[in-house]
Amino acid sequence: MEQGANDSATGWQQACHECDLLLGNSSAPPGGKLVCPRCAALIHRNPARSIHYTAALSISGLLLFIPAATLPMLNFSIIAFGSENTLLNGVFSLFGAGYIWLASLVLFCSVIAPFFRFLLLAFISLGCLWGALDRPVARAVRWYQHIKEWAMLDVYMLGVLVALIKMQSLGRMVVESGLYCFVGLMVLSNLTLLSFDQQSVWRRMARRRAATQAAGNGESSGAAS
Amino acid sequence: MSRTDTALEHGLCTCLCCHQLMRLPPGETRGRCGRCGATVHGRIERSLMLTWALVLTGTFLLVPANILPVMTVIYLGSGEPSTIIGGTLELYRNGLWGIALIVFIASIAVPVMKLVGLVVLLLQVQWRGPRNPMQSMRVYRVVAAIGRWSLLDLFMISILVALVNMGAIAEVRAGPGSTAFATVVVVTMMAVRTFDPRLLWDARYRRTAESSGLRDPVGGGGDG
Repeated sequence: MEQGANDSATGWQQACHECDLLLGNSSAPPGGKLVCPRCAALIHRNPARSIHYTAALSISGLLLFIPAATLPMLNFSIIAFGSENTLLNGVFSLFGAGYIWLASLVLFCSVIAPFFRFLLLAFISLGCLWGALDRPVARAVRWYQHIKEWAMLDVYMLGVLVALIKMQSLGRMVVESGLYCFVGLMVLSNLTLLSFDQQSVWRRMARRRAATQAAGNGESSGAAS
Repeated sequence: MSRTDTALEHGLCTCLCCHQLMRLPPGETRGRCGRCGATVHGRIERSLMLTWALVLTGTFLLVPANILPVMTVIYLGSGEPSTIIGGTLELYRNGLWGIALIVFIASIAVPVMKLVGLVVLLLQVQWRGPRNPMQSMRVYRVVAAIGRWSLLDLFMISILVALVNMGAIAEVRAGPGSTAFATVVVVTMMAVRTFDPRLLWDARYRRTAESSGLRDPVGGGGDG
């Protein structure tokens, strides 16, 4: 199977992933985006300094995960009885009540998937600096594509707000520090969606491969002469 | 555009994961992407069958999801289990119509819209191609984008179950309907993933090819 990105016989280099229209090799200008001329699908978005921003955002996301997952998010009290809620607390309660499927879905969408998304992004954006990590990084990009849509921090945030308003008539609801961390986490998570551009990862890999190949050729020709 | 310029016609296919164009070995319908390692097909294999199966599963599960209670709020020893619709109506009656609207959209309108949209798209592919493919693409993109928001209700339940847990005074319990509802959301999200929008364009070109015997092919009404 041919590995090259271009098909030299026809000159086509790309096809729209939503309508299969063949396109020439054109990448978006820095900071701009490219849409398919036929179906208006987003072909490529080229954010400036994608890899750097993604690395910074995903590492801060990983760090912020610690307080967001451990600190209490909401405090609910009726007269003198109160209880707190953390990110994992609800999952354990559901699990204890026997709703295993529901609990694992909530756990996956609100904790595991967002965490792995940050972890994968951090790995991709740092790992693509070293040639030795090419294969694991390629695999990480593939996993990232699969896990991307299951990370639902923003939906969870809306769930928190609905719960907050819904229970206001029953008792006193207090927002605690964990929720602020969670909001930060959600913002970071959405920013990585904007900053990450997998094409720049592939471009960087291809550039490095070309550079090592050129160096190898230079060495061998030097040895021959 | 009387001739289609699709990758498949040229024996090429694009990796849905990293968007690299590659040539499949002759006689093969699937291969492995040389760049990211994902499996590559010209079109998603058995896309229509899988999507139909998942859509039907979702439709059937919508019944228990809406009939069975999703949550019970017990306050001072009394409280009745409420269904999804019941919970929304209760919010509306309490004057929280903004929140009621959000919950209504997320947990009732979105699943139904998603299933109806997918059925329309599937019929368009299988019957006769879409008259206006851009419109179908818009339906597809809306269906793909809104799907995740239906989990709102379940996240709310999981928060309330942990938060309102004071024994006799106040307690929130999850109900069996929530399991069915969770499955509806997961199944419909998977259905969107298995549906291949490129089939819409194939169907459209079949349609113009059929009618081109009578008149010149229209230059693509939806070409933007």
